[in-house]
Amino acid sequence: MTGDDLAARRGVETDVYDPAEDSRLLADTACEEVAADDLVLDVGTGSGYVAATVGEETGARVLGADLNPHACRRACDAGVEAVRADLVAPFRTDTFDVVTFNPPYLPADAAAARDDWMEVALTGGETGREVVEAFLDDVERVLAPGGYVLLLVSTLTGVDDVVDYAGERGFSAVALADHSFPFETLTVLKLVR
Amino acid sequence: MAATHAHGMKRDLMDIVCCPLDKHDLDLDVEAEEDGEVVSGTLTCTDCGETYPIEDGIPNLLPPDMREETPA
Repeated sequence: MTGDDLAARRGVETDVYDPAEDSRLLADTACEEVAADDLVLDVGTGSGYVAATVGEETGARVLGADLNPHACRRACDAGVEAVRADLVAPFRTDTFDVVTFNPPYLPADAAAARDDWMEVALTGGETGREVVEAFLDDVERVLAPGGYVLLLVSTLTGVDDVVDYAGERGFSAVALADHSFPFETLTVLKLVR
Repeated sequence: MAATHAHGMKRDLMDIVCCPLDKHDLDLDVEAEEDGEVVSGTLTCTDCGETYPIEDGIPNLLPPDMREETPA
């Protein structure tokens, strides 16, 4: 799916990525995994859909972080504790039981350069993996002992490449859920150390 | 979606966040508060002294060089 398709489908509201199939797959999977006493961080929370859903369904405290100020506002209005952040940069070491992330993952040309917040929400650089890789470089630091990551990946990003990169950072990956669409298959990876 | 409405930053977020640059503790300076939550104020790094604004209940913990270089 391209950025223009999304823009057309969603009309004028293109400041913040609205929940789609990927958001729902991640939220449903996280609701099965997260315990009520977990502290959870949802990176790139966007509308706050995943963070709010997981918080309501599990009783866990779920923070939402996003680079986009409009997303932070939307998430906050949805009842999510929002922090404007670059990935996990402003969070303490050994803090979160679970970190969820539905990253921007389209290769840049697939999302047609838009130079707006929706492009930031969709694209992960030329490979589609730049944001995911930056996330994997730092996320281990903020995980509490026994903590894990729930990461949504698409066949458009290259699931094996993401698994290999996570492996180099000390994570082993288990696929918890997947959902196939005509142009891509979405998978939720659980990354444990 | 539940009717819960976040007013501002919970004070115990201070146990979760740190300076994005050097990971040191932050000091909270409250300008406005509502129902015990911080609506506006600043967070200041105890080590490097960089300050981060809290506006409309949302702390902006982007590194200073990323605050401007973003699309409108």
